[in-house]
Amino acid sequence: MNVLDVVNVKKAFGSRQAVDGVSLSISEGEIFGLLGPNGAGKTTTLSLISGLLRPHTGTITIGGWNVVTQATKAKALLGVVPQEPALYSQLSAEANLRFWGTMNGLQTADLTNAVKHALTVVGLTDRAQERVAKYSGGMKRRLNIAAGIIHNPKLLIMDEPTVGVDPQSRNHILQTVKNLREQGTAIIYTSHYVEEVEDLCDRVTVMDQGKVISAGTVSQLLNKAGQYQELVITVNGTKATSLMQLTALPGIKEIFTINNVYKILTSNAEQVLPLTYETILAEGMQVSAIHIHKPSLESLFLKLTGRTLRDQ
Amino acid sequence: MRKCFAIVSVGLRQMLADPMYLVFTLGLPLMMTWAMSFLPKEAGIYEMASLGVLVMFVALNLITSAGSILEERQNGTWQRILTSATSYWAIMAGYFIRLFLVAATQAAILLLSGKFLFGAPWNHGYLELVVVLAIYIFAMTGLGLFLAGLLKTQGQVQAVAMAIVMIGTMLGDVFFPIENPSGVIKIIAAISPQSWAAHALRDILTLGVSLSSLVVPLLWMTGLGMLLIIAGVLRIKIEA
Ligand SMILES: Nc1ncnc2c1ncn2[C@@H]1O[C@H](COP(=O)(O)OP(=O)(O)OP(=O)(O)O)[C@@H](O)[C@H]1O
Ligand SMILES: [Mg+2]
Repeated sequence: MNVLDVVNVKKAFGSRQAVDGVSLSISEGEIFGLLGPNGAGKTTTLSLISGLLRPHTGTITIGGWNVVTQATKAKALLGVVPQEPALYSQLSAEANLRFWGTMNGLQTADLTNAVKHALTVVGLTDRAQERVAKYSGGMKRRLNIAAGIIHNPKLLIMDEPTVGVDPQSRNHILQTVKNLREQGTAIIYTSHYVEEVEDLCDRVTVMDQGKVISAGTVSQLLNKAGQYQELVITVNGTKATSLMQLTALPGIKEIFTINNVYKILTSNAEQVLPLTYETILAEGMQVSAIHIHKPSLESLFLKLTGRTLRDQ
Repeated sequence: MRKCFAIVSVGLRQMLADPMYLVFTLGLPLMMTWAMSFLPKEAGIYEMASLGVLVMFVALNLITSAGSILEERQNGTWQRILTSATSYWAIMAGYFIRLFLVAATQAAILLLSGKFLFGAPWNHGYLELVVVLAIYIFAMTGLGLFLAGLLKTQGQVQAVAMAIVMIGTMLGDVFFPIENPSGVIKIIAAISPQSWAAHALRDILTLGVSLSSLVVPLLWMTGLGMLLIIAGVLRIKIEA
């Protein structure tokens, strides 16, 4: 049975359709990536799953329990790691974890053991007695994760857990996520770091403007990207006329212009580079940077929407 | 029940960690109560003044403490509580008890120190006192929850707290009797819970008024408190 089923869910804020007919399902021990640019509707989708928002239409079930009509049963299976750490800053890490454990039904020895275990998992045992206010940003994010997993949930929601985290904490977090999968926890992981999602996730859904625009395993999606490489050329100012000339060059599949950057999808970047470069120079433009990216979910997103996942 | 208690305790610890909170809820009113003890001890005047302080600071405390709910909504702990396996009613009960307890403790400390440290001349009517205060705190807790549902930021809460406390207390005929009150003053005094509470408390302590003659205002305050709590709880739920 699926741990999570989301069926055709819609949610609007005023006239803005933040989530527009999203369906997805996740099974045990699976890391499920939710990828999309700012404002795509990732956090809103997660808020609907965790029962903070009510869908206008559609149904969501966790372990078979409806999150609206059987909320307490559904929430007992759910752990949430919000985008911003949600903790009591004046309390110690341990006091925070005891609180979140209690709120999820743990007590007495079970609670004490769960707190110890969660602290070990995120590597904060040594600092457990310190007030959270004194923690670094990365440590708060780790404690934020501990608070989400304290009751050993079947489904764990993680909203961009590695944003603004130092590399050491980041690796620790990614390793924690992998370990949780080993224990059979189903995880929804949102991010706009493409590499992270490619590395971590078993299946990925790409969202844009509230809609699912692509879904599948990482390798399926990379196939959809058509094994395209991305040739990124930064110039001092793009021109419409040169765009036509460039598009006509052999080996170039598609070109997107974003600010003063040409993003060229091609099956072989090195082959098309010399001609492309010449054409650009002949148009009187100056080139300030050239990058070649291997096929990625980023190029798939570019191909599908003509836009980039991350803000430039 | 354990979850209710956890919400109460975690909130209290978070609030008490802020020294300014203690200054405003206990330091300042204690100083004022002490200063009032130099007023002439003639019947009514001292009671009015020191009970006025009590009533005013309890109101202030409750409204600003309710702002702590807004703070929790801003830093996400409120949402996280909502996503835990705890029923909405247990959560709201926790917040209600938290506010009520904070104000009741404050009132008890102020009254006891008034009597034993600053030599207030009270020696009867204790039961009546407790009942009136409990119902007053209940009504103001309702107001706090209602404002938490209605307002968006801590700044708004502070502005409203100032307005309600200043207008309700200063113009509500709480500190000093207003001779021949004009129309507006009469209306404010009639609807301000602070005014009700302060007058009821004074009458109990000076005239020895019994509860049975206070039934009408007490029912008013209870009704008002219930209405505000229901409105606040529903409003907060919709917000969520
Ligand atoms: N409470 C709200 N009221 C009004 N509009 C909202 C609300 N929450 C989200 N939105 C809007 O809904 C859309 C989706 O927002 P959402 O936060 O789900 O995006 P996101 O994919 O999580 O973005 P990010 O990567 O920046 O976190 C945005 O246009 C946002 O402005
Ligand atoms: Mg988001």
